[in-house]
Amino acid sequence: MQQQTQQQPAAKPKKKIRVPRVINGVEQMVEIEVDEDSGPGWGPNDKHTLLNHRIPRVDGPLKASGTAKYTYDMRLPGMLYGRILRCPHAHARITSMNTDAASAIPGVKAIVKAPLEETRFSGAPVAAVAAITPEIADDAIHAIVVKYEILPHVVIPDESIKPGAPKVVPDPPDRKEDNLQQKAKAGDLQKVEAAFATADAIIEAEYRTARLHHSCLETHGMVVDYRGGETATVYASTQGTFTIPEESAKFLGLPQSAVTAVVQHMGGGFGSKFGIGTEGMFACRLSKETKSPVKLMLTRYDEFVMTGNRSASWQKIKAGVKKDGSLVAVQSRQYRLGGVGQGSQAGQPYIYRGGEFYREIYALHTNEDSSNAMRAPGHPQASFAIESLMDELAYKIQMDPVAFRKKNLLSPTYHRQLDRGAKEIGWSRRNAMAGGNPGPLKRGFGCAVGTWGGGGNNQCKVDVTVARDGSVVVAVGVQDLGTGTRTYTRAIVAEEFGLQVTDVTEQIGNSKLGAAVASGGSVTAASLSPSVKDAAIKARLLFAERVAPLLDNAKPEDIKFANGTVSANNKSITWKQASASLPAAGITSHGVWRSDLQATGVQGCCFAEVEVDVETGFIRPIKMVHIQNGGLPLNRLTMESQINGGMIQSLGMSLWEGRVIDGELGMPLNPHFGDYKLPGSLEMPELVPIIDDDDKREAVIGIAEPAVIPAVGAIANAVFNATGVRIRELPITPDKILMGLMNSGPISTAKV
Amino acid sequence: MKSFEWVNASTIAEAVRMLNTAAPGKDIDEAPRPIAGGQDLITTMKDYTTRPTRVVNLKSIRGLDRITSDSKGGLTIGALVTLNQIEEHAGIRKNFPGLAEAAHSVATPQIRNLGTIGGNLCQRPRCWYFRLEEVVCLKKGGSQCYAATGENKYHAIFGGGPSFIVHPSDLAPMLVALGARVAVTGSSGKQVIALDKFFTLPAEGDVRRENVLKNDDIITEIQVPASPFAARSTYLKFKERESLDFALAAVAAAVQLQPNKTVKTARIVLGGVAPIPWRVPDAEKFLTGKIVNRDVLAQAAKIALKDAQPLEKNAYKVPLTETLVRRALAKAAGVSL
Repeated sequence: MQQQTQQQPAAKPKKKIRVPRVINGVEQMVEIEVDEDSGPGWGPNDKHTLLNHRIPRVDGPLKASGTAKYTYDMRLPGMLYGRILRCPHAHARITSMNTDAASAIPGVKAIVKAPLEETRFSGAPVAAVAAITPEIADDAIHAIVVKYEILPHVVIPDESIKPGAPKVVPDPPDRKEDNLQQKAKAGDLQKVEAAFATADAIIEAEYRTARLHHSCLETHGMVVDYRGGETATVYASTQGTFTIPEESAKFLGLPQSAVTAVVQHMGGGFGSKFGIGTEGMFACRLSKETKSPVKLMLTRYDEFVMTGNRSASWQKIKAGVKKDGSLVAVQSRQYRLGGVGQGSQAGQPYIYRGGEFYREIYALHTNEDSSNAMRAPGHPQASFAIESLMDELAYKIQMDPVAFRKKNLLSPTYHRQLDRGAKEIGWSRRNAMAGGNPGPLKRGFGCAVGTWGGGGNNQCKVDVTVARDGSVVVAVGVQDLGTGTRTYTRAIVAEEFGLQVTDVTEQIGNSKLGAAVASGGSVTAASLSPSVKDAAIKARLLFAERVAPLLDNAKPEDIKFANGTVSANNKSITWKQASASLPAAGITSHGVWRSDLQATGVQGCCFAEVEVDVETGFIRPIKMVHIQNGGLPLNRLTMESQINGGMIQSLGMSLWEGRVIDGELGMPLNPHFGDYKLPGSLEMPELVPIIDDDDKREAVIGIAEPAVIPAVGAIANAVFNATGVRIRELPITPDKILMGLMNSGPISTAKV
Repeated sequence: MKSFEWVNASTIAEAVRMLNTAAPGKDIDEAPRPIAGGQDLITTMKDYTTRPTRVVNLKSIRGLDRITSDSKGGLTIGALVTLNQIEEHAGIRKNFPGLAEAAHSVATPQIRNLGTIGGNLCQRPRCWYFRLEEVVCLKKGGSQCYAATGENKYHAIFGGGPSFIVHPSDLAPMLVALGARVAVTGSSGKQVIALDKFFTLPAEGDVRRENVLKNDDIITEIQVPASPFAARSTYLKFKERESLDFALAAVAAAVQLQPNKTVKTARIVLGGVAPIPWRVPDAEKFLTGKIVNRDVLAQAAKIALKDAQPLEKNAYKVPLTETLVRRALAKAAGVSL
C-alpha cells in the first residue's frame, strides 16, 4: 500500500493514508486522514503474555456442544417459514404467474413476487412463500404456476465469445455491449514482442479454473422478527452486522434506526454474505405482510444457484525466459467468467515482476448467476495459471522450480520462506524428472508463492467497561465469522489489564453496539484490534487514575497491571481490591482505530507432496506446508487454523470442486454436495501451517485470504512432477490424468 | 417433500396390501413406495423426484433383519439387514469377503447404519440429470436422455441406450458375482429371482425402472448360495473422493483356484459402468484353465473392456476399469501384480 505523508498545520500532526474499504466483499482503496502518532504500541511480538500465544477459542465449547445459537437455530413464537421459487431456465421471460393453488394450501400465509419480468440464469428467484411449516412452504412453491417464454441462452464461454451468440446482459442505454467486454489493459505490447525475440525458451498455454461455490455450512438467510410494531429485529447470517439494518428497513417500511441486526454466531461466509440479499428482501416483505416473524434460510440447492460463486477463469498466457531463468516477457489475455456479473481475476503476471508484460482483461458473460467475492477474489485463479506457467518454464530450461522462483522474486521474505518450505516438505526427495519415479504410485512435489494486503480501516468503535466488582466487558457490534474475533477481542483487553482471557466478556454481533467493519478482504483483525487496543489502553489509564490514591498517588502511566494485581511504588493490590475503588457505574472508555497498530502486505508460500496412481488417475495429497508472515499474530492457534483452512479450500479447488453445467439446458448439474465434491476427512494430507516469525513488524495484519492463494499452484505442480502430465484445467480429476497419460503429452493447450 | 400418507406395516402381507390399495397416482413416480432405511428414497422425495401418495414402512415388520446360514454355508440375508451388519458379520467377512468389502465401501458409517441391503439393491440412479428436479428426462417420462450427448463423465460405457445411467449399487455387482437370488413378495405371491435377472437394461425393460419389481412388490430376503469361489471374492471400488462417493467404476471378482493357481472358475462383474451390474463372461472364460499371472490378468482386463462403448466424456473409464479388473483378480487370487 502506498503511504503519503503530509504535514498538517493543526497541533496534532496528521497523515493521510490509503486503506481498504470493503464493498460487497471486494476491497477498494480510499484515502483517510489519521493521527501521526497516537499512543503506546503493541510492544515486541515476543513479549506478550496472551497475544501471540495459543489461546483456545472462547466460543469453542458453545459450538462443539451445540449451545451456540446461529440464525438457523432461531425459533420465535408464531414464526413462519419462507421458501423461494426459482426459475429453472437460463434465460426466459415470465409471461404469467398464478398463485391461486398455492394460496389455497392450508397453512400458507403469504406469497410475494420478485420485481422482475426477465430471468437471465437458471436459479433466478421469482417468488417466495411464507407458511406455518417449511414443508407446506415447499409444497406451496411447487403449486405456483409460472409460464415462461424461453429465450436463447449461452452458458459455455467458448460459445459466448463467438459472434452471434445469444446476448447475456442487456445493452446499457448509451451503448451496445457484447458478451465480451474489455475491462483493463496494461503494459507495453511492443516491448513485450521485442523481448520475446531475446528469450531462450517460450511457452504459450491456456489455463482454466472452474466456477466454485463458497459452500458455507450455514446457508444464507435471515429471521425477520417484525410483528407490526415500530421496531424490528433481524437475525442474519452475515459478514457485516451493519450491512443489514438499512436494507431491511427499506423493505419493512421502517426507519433504519428502528431495525436491530443480531449476528451472534454465523456459519461461514467466505465473501458471499454482505447485505440482506434477495432472500433477505423476501423475508422482510413476507414478515411485513404477515406481521409475523419469518425465517427464510436458503435450501442447499438455492445456495448453490442463488448466492454467487467464485468466478471461473480462462487465461491465455505466453511467457519467455532466459537460460539462466530470468523472465523476459509475459503476455496474457484473461477472461473473467462471472456469469451475468463481472467476475474477478488478478492481472498477470501476478506477483512476477521480471521483464516486460502486456495484458488484456475481459469480462466474458454467460447465462449463469453472478459471481461475487470469494476468499481472495480473483487471486487463486491468477495464481494457479502463473504458477503453473512458471513451473513449465523451469522444467523447459531444466531449472529447479524453487531456484527459478528465487531468481524471479526479489523479496528476501520469499527467499527465506521458499528455503524453509523446501526443507519442511523434503524437496531434496523430489525426482527432477517429471514422471520419472518407478511403479504406478508416483510421488511428486510442487511449490508456489502468494501475497496479500490485509490492512484495516477506521470503522470500528469499541467500548471497554470495568465494573466495581472487577468484571470487564468489551463491546463492539462486529460479527465473528468463525475467524476468532471473540477470542482476540477478549485477549487484547485481558492482556492490557494483566488478567486472563476468562476474566473478560465480549459483547458483539449487534448493530446497537459500536460501529464495526464488515468482514471482507481480511480487514477485520487490522480494523478491529487497533480500536480494541486503543479502548483497552484508555480504560487502563482511567482505571489507574482511580486507583492511584491506593498506591501512594502513583502516576497513572507508571501503574503496572500484571498477574491479576495492580501495583506501583512497591505496593500491590489485587484486581478485585483495585476495582472496588471505581465509581458505582464503573468506568468506560471509547476506543478508535489507530493506523500505527496495524500494517498491510503479507507474503506466503506453499509446498505440496502428492502421490498419483497413474493406472487409475487417483491423486492422494500426502503433505502440504504453508509458510505465512503476518506481523503480530493475535492468536497463534487461530492463525494456524486460518492457514490450514486456506490450504484445505485451495486443495478442494485443485482436485475436486467445480460447477458442472449443461450447455443445452443451461442448468447447473451439481447443485448439491453429492456431486459438488468438497474434500472430506479422508482427503486430508498432513497439513503443516508455519507462522513466519521472522516478520518482526509490531502490527496486526489480516491473513485469511493469502492462505488460500498459493496451494492450488503447488498441488498442480506436484501432480506434474509426479506424472509428467500437465493439467491446465481445474479441478485435476482422475479422468483428466488418465486421458492426459493416454494422449501421452500435455493436454488442453492453445495459442495466445 | 410432497405430503403423503405414512403406514407402518406389521407383516409382509400387510405391506403388500397397503402398497396395492393406495391411490396409484398419475405417474409412476407418484406410486406408493415401501421404505426401509430411507437413505435413498428420502432424498428423492425431498427433491420431488419421487412423490409417493403413500409410504409403507417395512421396518415395523419383525424378522427381516437377520442373517442366517444354511447347512452348506449359504446365506439368507433379510431385506432389512443393514449394510453395517453385513460389513461386520464375522461369517460374511470370512466366507464372503467380497460382500463385506462391498458393504463397507458404501457412503458413510451413518448411512451404513441405516441403509439396508434391500434398499441398496433398489436405489435409483445417481445420474445428475435424473436427480435434478427441473429436468424431465427419459427416466422421468420425458423424451430425451440428456446424458447421451451432454455431461456424461459418470455415465455408462456398457449397455447404454436409450438411457445411459449406471446402476449405483455396490452390493449388486458382488451379489451377482456370488450367484445370489432375491425373494420377492407381491400381490401375486412369492417368487425367487436370480439377481442377474432382477435388473433390467433400459432397452429391454421399462425405461422408468431399473428392475423387475412392480409397485406392490417388496424384496423380503437375499439368498447367497455357498460356492467354491465365494471365499476368494473381492470388491474393488474406485471413487474420485474417498470420503462419501459413488463408484466411477468397480469390480466384483471371485475365483476358484487349483493349488498351482490355475483358475477353475472366475466371476467378474463390473459396477459403475452400465445400467445394470455388468458381467463379462468372455473374460471369465478366458481365465478358466489359465494360471494367474500378470500377463494373463492384463489380457483378461482387455477382454473385459473390449466391447465398451464410451460416450464423449467417459473414455477414461476404459483404462480405469481395466486396472480395477487386474487388481481385483490379483487380490482375489492372492497374487501380486
